[in-house]
Amino acid sequence: MLSLLRIIRFAFQDIGRNIGLSFMTVLILVLMLLSVNTLLIVNLLTNRSISSIKNQINVSIYFTPDATDKNIDEIKKFVKSFPEVVEIIFKNRDEVLAEFKQTHADNPEVLASVEELSENPLGATMVVKTREPGDYAKIIKALNVPEYENLIEAKSFGDTETAIERVKNVTTQVERFVAVLSAVFIIIAFLIIFNTIRASIYTQRIEISIKKLVGASNWFVRGPYIVESLFFSALSVVIAYGLVLLFSGIVDPYMHVVFSETGILTNYFKSNIIVFAGLQFAAVFALTIVSSALAMRKHLRA
Amino acid sequence: MYFRKYDIIITPMIHLKNVSKKYSRDSVGVENINLKIEAGEFVFVVGQSGTGKTTLVKLLIAEERPSEGEIEIGGWNITNIHQDDIPFLRRQIGVIFQDFKLLPKKTVYENVAFALQVSGHPTARIRESVPKVLDIVGLKNKGDRYPHQLSGGEQQRVVIARSLVHRPKILVADEPTGNLDTVNTQEIMEILKKINEFGTTILLVTHNREIVNQMRRRVVTIHDGKLISDEHEGRYRL
Repeated sequence: MLSLLRIIRFAFQDIGRNIGLSFMTVLILVLMLLSVNTLLIVNLLTNRSISSIKNQINVSIYFTPDATDKNIDEIKKFVKSFPEVVEIIFKNRDEVLAEFKQTHADNPEVLASVEELSENPLGATMVVKTREPGDYAKIIKALNVPEYENLIEAKSFGDTETAIERVKNVTTQVERFVAVLSAVFIIIAFLIIFNTIRASIYTQRIEISIKKLVGASNWFVRGPYIVESLFFSALSVVIAYGLVLLFSGIVDPYMHVVFSETGILTNYFKSNIIVFAGLQFAAVFALTIVSSALAMRKHLRA
Repeated sequence: MYFRKYDIIITPMIHLKNVSKKYSRDSVGVENINLKIEAGEFVFVVGQSGTGKTTLVKLLIAEERPSEGEIEIGGWNITNIHQDDIPFLRRQIGVIFQDFKLLPKKTVYENVAFALQVSGHPTARIRESVPKVLDIVGLKNKGDRYPHQLSGGEQQRVVIARSLVHRPKILVADEPTGNLDTVNTQEIMEILKKINEFGTTILLVTHNREIVNQMRRRVVTIHDGKLISDEHEGRYRL
């Protein structure tokens, strides 16, 4: 207990008396954590953009006017049974006609020709949304069967197939790029922490050897570095997270224009504060401990 | 007596039996050294630079392990000392170095106190012992200074205080006056003489002819890693 108290006291004494080195260590850890949080922001915005694009893609199925409610219900049930389908918006014939009239409100010739017909010439419509753009082909293929041939007039997928395919490719590429970027960032972060701690230990190697010569055990030498790592990790996470929240507050109004959502970044970082800050603290602390143990191993042998 | 790591009778204080240290085939630190130092002796180890004097000191504090032979300190065979036991050995031998080896970011008081803190001495004992030992070396009023604020002679006196504070039975000094002028050298030698008079065994490595001839104590001469003479009340003969 006495040794532990002395170790803690030595740690804070070292921090204070090596204030320049302590400041640089925290600064580098904060910069590294800011890069990691930047990556989180890139990830979030990429995912939001991709899902926003995906949301705008759908397949419209136009039924013939002859299709009965029973036929339509059957097809609706069939489409709903696909696990890939996330949403079906159905518009009956009257709704389709009303929408048509509204769309062509400024075109009296079109409206007049519709009025001339005794019957509603438009069939019902079904808008289908799937999880991934690639799933549309599967739905369309399933509907391309002889028994539905006379019930479905058109499917809009044919026109947008190329666009959907392109979006699918782009989103896959972006996701891959972000994954690679994340891996690169993690490697860089590890190298930065490892080298910062190694440089810090290297500058104190003579002191370590003196402590050993005076009879300090390895734990008595290592102890203050562990306490320092704990303190530096906690301080750098608090500073970095604080800066990220501050930055989020500043850029959120601009994000609102793009994503039509208020406080997108602030909410993201606030709602995940325990997971993000906890994981970042655990990772930095573990890395500093491992780095200092590796860097110190050589100096503790004497 | 501290050295009773195992149940062995504690005499002589330092015993080297056919000790050799070979770094490589061509590099020999010491070769076949036989040396017995009794409790309370003051022994000079002399020799030219690079003859193996510092290797001998390193072997005594287990900074190096012998390639051959056996070493006993106060009856404790440290030839193959376990890594975990080295701190215990070092807490029982006072060591003085030519380059002082003080902790630069700790004050004089803290440097001396550190030697007791590492072995878990209570704070009350530290507060009592450190000022006393600083008084012995004439630095009672400089406890709050940092090493860089002291002269070479004062720094060496801090080292002596640090090595004495845990009341060791053996004091090993490797060229303690190597970086000091004549006045400081004399002061340090006076302090060491006093410490010896209180019963501490002293092994002092030096190539300072003047202090060896002046003290007229036991002189062990090493040349090319070999012990070539061992004289009681000897002189520097190289």
